[in-house]
Amino acid sequence: MKFASKLALGCAIAVASFVSVAQDRVVRIGVAMPISGPGSYFGVMDKEGIELALEQLKSGVNGYKLQVQYEDSACSPLQATNAVKRMLDQFKPHIVIGEECSDASLAIAPILNDAKVVQLNVGSVTMKLTESGYKYTFRIFPNAEQQSAPLVKVARGVLKAQTAVILHEKTNAGNDNAEGFKKPFEAQGGKVLADIDFGRDVNDFTAIATRIASLGKVDVLPTFALEGQQVRLAQALAQAKIVKGGGGNAVQIGSIWLPYGFDQKAGEAAQGYVRIVQFDPSEKRKVVQDFVKAFKAKYGQDKVPTHINAHAYDAILLIAEAVRRGAHDSESIRDAFSKFKDVEVTTGRITFDAKGQTSDLSVVHFVQTQPDLSWKALSWQ
Amino acid sequence: MSDLAALVVQQSLNGVYLGCLYVMVALGLTLIYGVLNQINFAHADFVTVGAFTAFFAATRFATKVLGLPDAAGYLLSIIAATGMGAVLGLAINAAVFAPLRERGDELRPLIATIGVSVLLENAQLALFGPIPYQFDSPFARETIRIGRVFFSAQSLLVVLISAASIGALYAFLRFTFLGKALRAVAQDRETAGLMGINQGLLIGLTIVIASALAGMAGALLGPVLVLSPFAGASVIVKAFAIVIIGGFGNMQGTIIAGILVGIIEAFTVQYLGSGLIDLVVFVLLLAMLVVRPTGLIAERKEENV
Repeated sequence: MKFASKLALGCAIAVASFVSVAQDRVVRIGVAMPISGPGSYFGVMDKEGIELALEQLKSGVNGYKLQVQYEDSACSPLQATNAVKRMLDQFKPHIVIGEECSDASLAIAPILNDAKVVQLNVGSVTMKLTESGYKYTFRIFPNAEQQSAPLVKVARGVLKAQTAVILHEKTNAGNDNAEGFKKPFEAQGGKVLADIDFGRDVNDFTAIATRIASLGKVDVLPTFALEGQQVRLAQALAQAKIVKGGGGNAVQIGSIWLPYGFDQKAGEAAQGYVRIVQFDPSEKRKVVQDFVKAFKAKYGQDKVPTHINAHAYDAILLIAEAVRRGAHDSESIRDAFSKFKDVEVTTGRITFDAKGQTSDLSVVHFVQTQPDLSWKALSWQ
Repeated sequence: MSDLAALVVQQSLNGVYLGCLYVMVALGLTLIYGVLNQINFAHADFVTVGAFTAFFAATRFATKVLGLPDAAGYLLSIIAATGMGAVLGLAINAAVFAPLRERGDELRPLIATIGVSVLLENAQLALFGPIPYQFDSPFARETIRIGRVFFSAQSLLVVLISAASIGALYAFLRFTFLGKALRAVAQDRETAGLMGINQGLLIGLTIVIASALAGMAGALLGPVLVLSPFAGASVIVKAFAIVIIGGFGNMQGTIIAGILVGIIEAFTVQYLGSGLIDLVVFVLLLAMLVVRPTGLIAERKEENV
């Protein structure tokens, strides 16, 4: 009886320890994304990418389960702050993916850094995010400078542009991208005829197109805005016969902001639009083609993944890679990220610089919208 | 035509077009305030419902089921959106606003409009998702050029429909028995009731007309807006400003203020920068509140609506 009791007690302790270890062997991933409000399409696409990656990793990584909790941060600094505080308090994440919008990403960065929780950003542009000395912030999305510099190179070197009109939304992201274009373009002898900003609530761009038409000969129009506004802007510029899509001479050039499918939405107004892309579903790398195939299998054959889907998918792959290399908490994930060298994912080969910014831009390339509204990959880098 | 003259004409046309879009949104707001003394915070969502109705009517029903050409499909979608706005207004009035009004409480119907707004927004989010839809009007593809001035057939259509709607509304209010009764309710609800006018019916009619106008505005704005469940929110703040500048509840004032704001916006873009649009419009709003708090058209209750 005595022996039996001891045995039962021993078994109970063993089971409890096992359960405890099993419960502990979890990497908690918080996701702060806009699920409501005008930016909620980011959240929907992010979730698609994340869910696909989790499905592929459902058996765990290195003995660890990846556990995800989504919070709605609504592209808003205030809501993002509240969402992250709630997450830290209740879910206690080891890493937080987010936010998409620069203003919200900047708001949560100091909170996560104070809590010593890694922030992995997949969609913000603002320079400040990785230039403010945060030790726990990493970003796989090219920053404003990384996106604008190639545009200047192509505008001056390939398109031989002398004049530009910069169009951008009035946000940290838009301002930084505009600044990132303006300074080097002028330094290289180009002339910026106007720097036109606008709020996200502007719908009709006819007056802006009229103003641009009155400015004289414009060679390039670097444009930094979300897809919905870009569609209307391209159509207004075409109607005013400014851009090639409307029979004009100016070339609209843009950044990674625009997801795949923009050209079809803008219609013939998008013809001749030149932009850089980081994720190209037609790219031949195996990791890209496997992702596209799996994405279509899960979400429908007619659904082509965008860079937003891809970035979110990559975020989970990178966390999994860190766990595979022995990371299991915030500190070790941070250390693993810092040591990453050419980790291949769909949006590139990831090596973080000392500031946590992705530094390898080898997959970033230019595409141009063709008359049939398809992409043509250009060799300009 | 000189460069400057062409520019002034062009921006004026842009402003009138934009102003007409604002007027179409603001008219319903001012009509409800004029009759009910109530602000309808759900108005933006009626506009969005109209835009989605027009989108599905044009792209799924008219062209694919009925086989109509694109232009006819879009025109039909405007009628569908107007009808949907009216039906929705009728249903929400019957289910929410009328029962609350019967309790004689002023505050609850106002708060209910906020509830209806959240409900409609989230219902649309659940139904249509957050990814913006691309709603193109076939009229937007046609550009009319006169000398150096250009405008799209869509903007001409917007101006014509706005003018026709305003004219029809004016004629209804001035020359029909129901319109006169509605004005009587706006002037003095109690006395109108004593004269045998059915207040509940006329208040319901006001909400239906305002909602139908919002639906129509949605159909006209659909090809301009980034069409998502939050689309109406981007114009409603401006519409409120227009209603205040014009004189709350005053239709003529709202029309003048709408066109004025549209033109001011166009010239602000040209000479000050598009980033300053809101600043200029709201400075105008504050100036009006300080200098002429009754709005552009001085408030005379009996002349409203």
